[in-house]
Amino acid sequence: MNLWRLEWLRLIRTPRAVTLLAVFIFFGLVEPVLTRYQSKILAHVGNGVRIVAPPPTPAQGISGYIGEITGIGLIVVVVIAAGALSFDARHGLAIFLRTRVTSIWRLVMPRYTASAAATAAAYLVGMLAAWYETDLLIGSLPAGAVFAGYLCAAVYLAFSVAVTALAASLVRSTLASTGIALAILLVIPIAGTFRAVHDWLPSTLVGAPVELLEGTHRLVHYLPAFAVAVAVSLGALAIAVQRLAAREL
Amino acid sequence: MRDSLLAAGASGPLSLPPHLLAALVPLLVLVVALDVYCLIDLARAPAMRWGVPKFVWVIVILFISAPIGALAYLFLGRDRSRHPPAPAVPASPALPASPPGQAGQPVLGPAAADGLPVVTTTGLTRDYGGTGLFDVDLLVPAGSVYGLAGPNGAGKTTLLSILAGVRRADRGTVNLAISRRRIAVCPDVPEFDGWLTACEVVDLARSLMGQAPDESAVTASLATAGLADMAAKRVGGFSRGMIQRLGLACALAGDPELLILDEPTSALDPAGRAELLGLVAAMRGRRTVIFSSHILADVQRVADQVGILRGGRLLYQGQTRDLIDTYLKPSWLVRIAGDAGPVAAAMSGEPWVTRVEPAGSDVLRVDATSLAAGERGIPAVIAACGARQVSCEPAAADLESAFLALTGAPAGA
Repeated sequence: MNLWRLEWLRLIRTPRAVTLLAVFIFFGLVEPVLTRYQSKILAHVGNGVRIVAPPPTPAQGISGYIGEITGIGLIVVVVIAAGALSFDARHGLAIFLRTRVTSIWRLVMPRYTASAAATAAAYLVGMLAAWYETDLLIGSLPAGAVFAGYLCAAVYLAFSVAVTALAASLVRSTLASTGIALAILLVIPIAGTFRAVHDWLPSTLVGAPVELLEGTHRLVHYLPAFAVAVAVSLGALAIAVQRLAAREL
Repeated sequence: MRDSLLAAGASGPLSLPPHLLAALVPLLVLVVALDVYCLIDLARAPAMRWGVPKFVWVIVILFISAPIGALAYLFLGRDRSRHPPAPAVPASPALPASPPGQAGQPVLGPAAADGLPVVTTTGLTRDYGGTGLFDVDLLVPAGSVYGLAGPNGAGKTTLLSILAGVRRADRGTVNLAISRRRIAVCPDVPEFDGWLTACEVVDLARSLMGQAPDESAVTASLATAGLADMAAKRVGGFSRGMIQRLGLACALAGDPELLILDEPTSALDPAGRAELLGLVAAMRGRRTVIFSSHILADVQRVADQVGILRGGRLLYQGQTRDLIDTYLKPSWLVRIAGDAGPVAAAMSGEPWVTRVEPAGSDVLRVDATSLAAGERGIPAVIAACGARQVSCEPAAADLESAFLALTGAPAGA
């Protein structure tokens, strides 16, 4: 038993993996259906009001999925990551771990990696489900743009987990860590309203899957945000490790 | 795929277009699978959070908009941290509480153990604003069982936390004669991930201490802690006593040179307490043990060295026997075969007797002016009366009495 296996068991023996997969696959399966039949659904609930909408594009099928994932999906990711990274929330467990490891990095690294990898995997499966449904109901999608968009979104989700690690180093409780991480992740897009920094913010990566499918931008457009997300993630992890090492029990 | 499905016609069993049917089937499979998973998990769960009855969650999972009900159960339903009620802890003489800051200078007893000190501290201070730890000079000989006694809030956990390296001192130094990797710590309330088995927890403890996987060593540690039969069970269902035993198994798994135990018997039943204390006593000479307790009977039972903390200050440090002897009152309980009246009358006439009173039909309590006077005089008076002595034992010759005398707290407090 090592700390990597511990994280694997944490995923499969608790509802973490099931929850992540269920949420991402559910939105992947349901959003293209809703997009395809949106006008019919609205007509049924519109009390006779006729709504005329243009036929949905394949990019819109994916757009619904991205929209749900950056809302509910992100909350699920942060809650699950905070549960793993807030190892000081339980005093007895913290003593068990901290008095035995030689460095806090040994504790943080597997927890971060497992949470980020599980999130990226769940996002990928959900994306494939959305792709399947979109292809079936609306139209085909270019594979290159789908995977380029996946890469951007996966980097953003890994960034979100790193922010959660930073939050866990600021407070002990899992709930407080979750709240702080979500607050940070919600504030970043607000900063994006300033045009000068918009393209550099990690939150720009959230819209990349749809914009790449629509052809609005090419992958190179997201390189600044990509670089900032990676750099800030590494910085957040470094600060988290430094703060956790300095924390007393 | 879409075109081929459309070409297949619209004659599905649900009268839905085939491409829509193909789109909805995976969704249906997901929702059903998730509900089944949740229902199985619900059936196996030992307890629900907030005491919500299981049937309520069945309704939520099945009838709340899928898959919201199932996801709500996964997030909020099962209580994965709760354990069954802990076994009752037997009543034991607990130390009286003491106000902080009323502490005297340390009384250093004679060095007891032959071993060199494993732990020494010099002027160790951690001030939490009037409470904490102040100028503690600890000396723990190698191979000894060092009992750290004191009332709640005396600073025991703070001292052990500093020794364990999870808190820092404001002032003073800690000198360890061994590597930190050779120290194992067991807190008063150990906690583990409830989804691991006991075997996996001990294996993890060994792995974290850099030891190679060894199934027999894991099994041996669990057996030593009395958990051999529970090795394959997940610790989420363990009682507090079993968790405490598991904490000890983890501590022993690394074969440490120094074992730090914080209130190790606090959650154990009488049999478990006796077993654990026997285990700790058996470690004497093989490894050094520092254990804290506010149950003085436990300290007296296993510790050859004792440190008395009060208000964050070390009031006494030395051999347990010396502490008891130093503060032993010159008072005895004398049991006589037959009528004790004549002996009592004879005793009351002696100049060295300060008080004599019956403590039962055939038992006298005799207080003397000094230990020496009593030890010489009592047998002489009994012999002069021609009475037969059944027993003569010091009254209140225990660590609790010594502690009360040392700290000046009233007896029975």
